[in-house]
Amino acid sequence: MGVSIVPTLKVLKPVGMIVGVGFVGLLVGYFANAAFFPGTTPVQPIEFSHTIHAGDYEIPCLYCHTEARRSPSAGVPSVNKCMGCHAIVATDSPLVREVARHYENAEPIPWIKVHDLPDFVHFPHNRHVAAGLECQECHGPVETMDRVTRMAPNEMGQCLTCHRDMEVEHGIDCLTCHK
Amino acid sequence: MPNIDRRSFLTLVGAGGVGAGAGFMLSESRKHPVEHLVPYPVPPEEFSPGIATWYNSVCSMCSAGCGISVRTREGRAKKIEGNPAHPVSQGRLCALGQSGLQALYNPDRITGPLVRAGRRGELEFDPATWEESLAELANQLELMRTAGRGGGVALLTGGVRGHLASLLELFMSWLGSDQLLHYDFNHPATLYAANERFFGESELPYYDIENSRYVLSFGADFIGHWLSPVHHGLGFGRSRQARDGIRARFVQIEPRMSLTGAAADEWIAANPGTEGILALGIARRIVDQGGYQGADLDAWRAALDGYAAESVAEQTGVAADTVARLADSFAETQPGLAIGGGATGNHSNGVDALVAVNALNHLVGNIGVEGGVIFNPPPAFGPTASRQAGLSRMLELAEDARAGRIEMLIVSNTNPVFNLPEAAGFAEALADIPQIVSLSTFLDETTAQADLVLPSHTYLESWGDDAPSPGVGFRVGAVSQPVVEPLYDTRATGDIVLELAHRMGLDLAFPWPNMEEYLKYSWREVWSSGTPDPAIPDFDTFWTSVVRAGVWGDETRAPGGEFAPDAGVVDGIGVGAPEFAGAEGEFPYALHPYLSNGLHDGRGANLPWMQELPDALTGVVYGSWIELNPVTAEELGLSEGDVVAIESPAGSIEAPVLVYPAIMPGVVAMPIGQGHEQYGRYAHEHGVNPIDVLAAQTEPGTGALAWAATRVRLVPTGGRVDLVKVGGDSRELGREIVQIADAGTPAAAGAPTVASATDAGAAVGIDVPAVGAEAAMANTRLNSIPITVVNT
Repeated sequence: MGVSIVPTLKVLKPVGMIVGVGFVGLLVGYFANAAFFPGTTPVQPIEFSHTIHAGDYEIPCLYCHTEARRSPSAGVPSVNKCMGCHAIVATDSPLVREVARHYENAEPIPWIKVHDLPDFVHFPHNRHVAAGLECQECHGPVETMDRVTRMAPNEMGQCLTCHRDMEVEHGIDCLTCHK
Repeated sequence: MPNIDRRSFLTLVGAGGVGAGAGFMLSESRKHPVEHLVPYPVPPEEFSPGIATWYNSVCSMCSAGCGISVRTREGRAKKIEGNPAHPVSQGRLCALGQSGLQALYNPDRITGPLVRAGRRGELEFDPATWEESLAELANQLELMRTAGRGGGVALLTGGVRGHLASLLELFMSWLGSDQLLHYDFNHPATLYAANERFFGESELPYYDIENSRYVLSFGADFIGHWLSPVHHGLGFGRSRQARDGIRARFVQIEPRMSLTGAAADEWIAANPGTEGILALGIARRIVDQGGYQGADLDAWRAALDGYAAESVAEQTGVAADTVARLADSFAETQPGLAIGGGATGNHSNGVDALVAVNALNHLVGNIGVEGGVIFNPPPAFGPTASRQAGLSRMLELAEDARAGRIEMLIVSNTNPVFNLPEAAGFAEALADIPQIVSLSTFLDETTAQADLVLPSHTYLESWGDDAPSPGVGFRVGAVSQPVVEPLYDTRATGDIVLELAHRMGLDLAFPWPNMEEYLKYSWREVWSSGTPDPAIPDFDTFWTSVVRAGVWGDETRAPGGEFAPDAGVVDGIGVGAPEFAGAEGEFPYALHPYLSNGLHDGRGANLPWMQELPDALTGVVYGSWIELNPVTAEELGLSEGDVVAIESPAGSIEAPVLVYPAIMPGVVAMPIGQGHEQYGRYAHEHGVNPIDVLAAQTEPGTGALAWAATRVRLVPTGGRVDLVKVGGDSRELGREIVQIADAGTPAAAGAPTVASATDAGAAVGIDVPAVGAEAAMANTRLNSIPITVVNT
């Protein structure tokens, strides 16, 4: 007596179609999110344009991100520093007025981090600036970005490749970065 | 294309939709979580994100005056350490000092001025503004002052030194009031009085533990809370380990083994309140053995006549040969140091007992020498007259309040409602004061009674300075600077006082706009008192360098100076029998309250770190307990966790029993610090406060509270609780950590030795042969032999 699996397949066919369409939907949803809502380019609370500041007016990175020279953390400028220029410059721009409002209310601006390393990585900006690295090597051409995008993956391979190429002393020791 | 019906089509659309949604969320979950970069609107000075800035300042958690270095990042204080340049703390800091951060960031801080809305003590307050509150208060004060009723203002603060004390003094003198009081539970008033009587000056000398070869301590818990624990701990460590290869010998005499006692070579329990008699027994033996050859030898012989070994042994419970052994080793080991404090100093005969301890130092020639008692130069600045109030002075204040002589009480960072015995009636007397203003940082039991609360900064937000007392044998001054911007709408105590003075129109007398300017003004005098230094050409350079270093002063100690007590002093030496509140028949046990390791006198109870700090000797965390000797516990049929009522002539509280072998039978020890009704979420409703059952017994000479002079009885309530302990079992479980060795007499002074079981047993009045060393070794739950711990 022969046993046929055809009846079973007939029952499974609609289930298979549902799973298949569902999977296609999953891929579409996944890549749509990645394409249209990239986490690498967050929308900042105030649409600060690096194109205008660092590109058009050629303000050096370290003018605002002063601490990169001497601190592990590059930091973002205080509202006070923004107002250093914008007390006079472009005071009628709605964005600048927004900054001024924060200043007057002594309210910090909650900028969103674009480049963020995990907490178990020790990355001192000051050492990299002292070694003569351009900011752009890791951060990309920020001076052309209206809205800053994370260009580099900022993953361990990138660190190690560079440390190898530059022949950094102890550059590939675990404890150099993970301490 | 297969035929597809409507039903299947909708199913597939649904499947696709669910899939797309799931895919979208999957992608979302793989993104970095959003982190913010929040810069300051206006950054603080010397601010650099990612780089720590250290500021030197002065710790105010207790009255020792340790120098601290505070690590700040992004304008926030992160860690407190000792300031290595400060001679008191030398880079070290105690647990309470470390947890100063939790005072700063405490969620129960008062965040702005408050005005009472409900009835007193109901804790109903409305928020107020500084402007209105200060204007009204200044107006009231000015009216009282011009009407000549300024004497009706009382100002009660915690222990204050330095120029803030001078400022308060000046303010009160302008008001025309002499009711300026500092109240600290732990203030060693009897030690000041004993030094005044014996040395002729009411100051604390420098106790040079570091260079001593023999420390004989009568109840002074100098590693725990006596005077300057960080400094003493450091000196003690060096005297035992780090010096020239000779380990100093250390004997501790106290009824309940403290943290300090646990570090001793020999721990001896004399009957409570008889430590001074023991000191005189030792003195008598030294004189008898020819250890003292002063011109006034006959006067000493006469004064010590009543302290023959047998009578001393009978009164103190310490065997006569132990007294002789202590006397001989103390006399022959030079330099030695006898110190007294704790329960010894806070008994009905406290001053006499501490004079007896001073006498011991004199008899063996340890005054004015390195490793002995070295006199401090006068403090670098600050008022000379002490405003520290003992119990009797506080009772006077309460009496003035009842009689309507106090119209306004300003209280600042002291908590007498908690720290005075209920029997003193201070809390009730507050009801008779028409207005109570509190400048305290926290809503403690005293501030809860206030009508107006003007909260002050913590010490980490204020300017101040300090001339530590006891000093370190040379002149030291330290500046305390704000290490962070104020967190809340609070003000520094000094600034509040100055602002009040200005609003009262006293600008000419108080020309300084704020405390910082007042300090600078005052430190000009300090600057000109020092030797000119070409590297410091002007005051501004001097001030900057002092603020940066956190400390200023000399660096070397100059011992020396002949000392001989007045003839009258020698004639007056003598220690009477201790007097307890409560008859022995009715109240069979002596209550021995002690400052707990972390909570101090209760001030540390609102700091979570201190609440979680296990007691160093018993390992108990949280709550209150009483410690009983196994013998006492067995007599009463009590075991660990049994809740008993502790009844004294003054009141009753309930606490669980902890069987603790290192306490005399007949003594009940209890840590101070818990039992708050207010003082924030971490402090209130934990344990009970043993101060509540203390009788209002004073040391007659000073009026200080004799907190070791209350007798109690224990009444089992039938309740049981599990005590929270770390370290598991207090038994040794065959690990042989505790050994009883027969060491006989110490082979050589300075060598660590172990007291014999017989000796230790005799010291606490147990009939040792009846119990026997074997029983003690047998790991029974009730290990009835007081132990000598050998560190293995």
